[in-house]
Amino acid sequence: MQHSRFTWIITLCAGSATAFFTSGCATKTETAHAASNAPAGAATDVPGALPGIHVVSPLPSGEWTVPAGDLANTRFSTLSQINTGNVANLKLVATMSTGIPHGHEGGPLVVNNTMYVVTPFPNSLLALDLKNPTGPLKFQYDPHPKPMAQGKACCDVVNRGASYGDGKIVYATLDGQVVAVDAQTGKEVWKTPLGNVDIGETITMAPLIVKDRVIVGNAGGEMGVRGWDAGLDLKTGKLVWRAYNTGPDKDVLIGPDFKPFYKKDQGKDLGVSSWVADQYKHGGATQWGWVSYDPELDLIYYGTGNPGVWNADQRPGDNKWSITIFARNPETGQAKWAYQISPHDAWDYDEIMENVLIDMDWQGRMRKLLVHPGRTGFVFVLDRETGELLSAEKFMPPTNWAKGFDLKTGLPQVDPSKETHQGSTTHDICPSSTGGKEFVPSSFSPRTGLLYIPAHNTCMDYGGVKANYIAGTPYLGASVTMKPGPGAGQGMLIAWDVKNAKAAWTVTESPWPNYSGVLSTAGDVVFYGTMSRMFKAVDAHTGKALWQFQTGSGIIGNPMTYIGPDGKQYVAVYSGIGGWMGAEALPALSADDPTAALGIVGAMKGLKSYTGPGGTLYIFSL
Amino acid sequence: MHERMLLSILLLIALCAAGCDRPPTETATDGAPPAVDIPVGPMPGPGQFPPSPQNPYTGNSVALSEGRQLFVNYNCYGCHGGHGGGGMGPSLRDATWIYGSSDAHVFSSIAEGRGQGMPAWGTKLPQDQIWKLVAYIKSMNTPNEPDAPVQK
Repeated sequence: MQHSRFTWIITLCAGSATAFFTSGCATKTETAHAASNAPAGAATDVPGALPGIHVVSPLPSGEWTVPAGDLANTRFSTLSQINTGNVANLKLVATMSTGIPHGHEGGPLVVNNTMYVVTPFPNSLLALDLKNPTGPLKFQYDPHPKPMAQGKACCDVVNRGASYGDGKIVYATLDGQVVAVDAQTGKEVWKTPLGNVDIGETITMAPLIVKDRVIVGNAGGEMGVRGWDAGLDLKTGKLVWRAYNTGPDKDVLIGPDFKPFYKKDQGKDLGVSSWVADQYKHGGATQWGWVSYDPELDLIYYGTGNPGVWNADQRPGDNKWSITIFARNPETGQAKWAYQISPHDAWDYDEIMENVLIDMDWQGRMRKLLVHPGRTGFVFVLDRETGELLSAEKFMPPTNWAKGFDLKTGLPQVDPSKETHQGSTTHDICPSSTGGKEFVPSSFSPRTGLLYIPAHNTCMDYGGVKANYIAGTPYLGASVTMKPGPGAGQGMLIAWDVKNAKAAWTVTESPWPNYSGVLSTAGDVVFYGTMSRMFKAVDAHTGKALWQFQTGSGIIGNPMTYIGPDGKQYVAVYSGIGGWMGAEALPALSADDPTAALGIVGAMKGLKSYTGPGGTLYIFSL
Repeated sequence: MHERMLLSILLLIALCAAGCDRPPTETATDGAPPAVDIPVGPMPGPGQFPPSPQNPYTGNSVALSEGRQLFVNYNCYGCHGGHGGGGMGPSLRDATWIYGSSDAHVFSSIAEGRGQGMPAWGTKLPQDQIWKLVAYIKSMNTPNEPDAPVQK
């Protein structure tokens, strides 16, 4: 029923982009989409948006209050002071070192003329007064996570950011806690322990605040933990619900509302029966990526990670609900639908990537889409009301583990010669476990209809080994050596034409993967960083290089933009190499072991000579 | 209890895998000296450190191979890299030794664990297995390293 109502709104408003966004329509949609933590001045109207493309959640126009800027994860800003005509004049206005030689993922928030950044372990929250960004900190909050957490996090001691709501900055600490800090005073309001770091449960993702819920998930899929997402009460931090991503329906919060689209995902307690014995208890399916929210359908969306143990022969079955996209009610956590992208994963293709929510014309009919550029090398387009797979096309050309997807069954057409098994090594699987892209989030511009995907081209040799579960130690059973993929350049910015399911253009980066998030703006500028220390701006229509700036360390963070107290537009980004793909640049790694850091060192040998670690925040303006 | 039983079984399997089909002369676990407390930091004031125990398996190629197998069986490779190049934990094949490079220091790091996440394996493993792990780790990047990484 909601779908037909939506169609009606579109029919009424469509015709031209201008007509679509005239006041009557905009008012109607804004009312329908109002969210309690929508940023001040947030807008759903995008001047110059293509006809038939509709924004689901209010877009950032001055502040940046949630990790992606908006709840729908477009990472698109309506600001246009900085545009294709003047971005060449962008200048550095402030910098700040964090003093931490580890991966700086995520990005800043801006609320009430204050910028907030979370550091990697020890997860300090730094607040800058934007009225005086070169002056002293407004405050620093230190949560003092357990030092032991550093050795339990699979892929560097990273943190992917915070969310703002109800006067609080909320984020997670590496040792499995969630903290809420008063945004004005820097005082801790509440702290909720959720994960057991003794057994390897960490939290690295950026929680999303949806109304009065904080949505957060765990990490530790390499340690044999059991994945979950949780909903906390924003006021008190109290745990309201926890939905495991493996196990019996009652644990997964699967009830009468659960209506998965495909037969393969229907049935009772699949989270138990798709595993051998009690393997689901160590079955991974963690959630260390991004959460999105559709205010109209009142559903959150997220994807789950790899099944545990990595060695697929030790866990026969579909291994639900690993590598799965879930739609849930944010208040109760109850599942609405689930779509398992890849049953019985044998490559560590976590699919915790961003789910970008867009309403657009799809093959002649307006549909509510969920666009998921995946580690598997495919861009998945789903109907986010039902979970139906509408399209799955390769964005990373060498992808060879599957030929494609059967839209009738929702299943991948796996190439048996690329399956991995215990006791043998499978060669030249593309992409590598790090995927055609990783957690680094893409950005969608309603003005171009393009999804800007930070991508990488690596392949791998994967040997299966029997693994023993010993709590608090890695649970892998794999010897992996990654290597650069075929073709020039490991890094790409792919401008993906969502409607036509193909690349419009690609900027190739050499020699390293694109491992930073992307920002697009109404000024038709796309910002991203490279591991070789460049922060870049390109034309959103053509990919033409417009500006670049060399930072002190490789960029794996996410750029964002805001309006300062002086009314001017600013752009900010973290630099600081590390994370999984950047591990080779850290001093505690040896490049002569290609299997080091879960195999990534084989693909990244030499990164050290391009960048050393060390985190710095950079702020630019005209 | 369940996990403890499981671990005991694993230990038996590991011991068996490591030693069952070896000539007895090469696998002698008797005579391995007991570990002594090895200070990690410098000693204050006058005096000398107690003599450091030596690894009975240094240069024993069979023990090195067993150490390599234990390194896999106990999931050491998951943190420290398939061939000790590092990852969640630091590299073991470079020249940096955070807690000391002597055999006894490496033994102590394995047995006692370290504060940034290294488990205290002395609570679970017999000493001779720890010494074999030490022997394997100290062989990395030397001609004696078993199953050395293939360079491309």
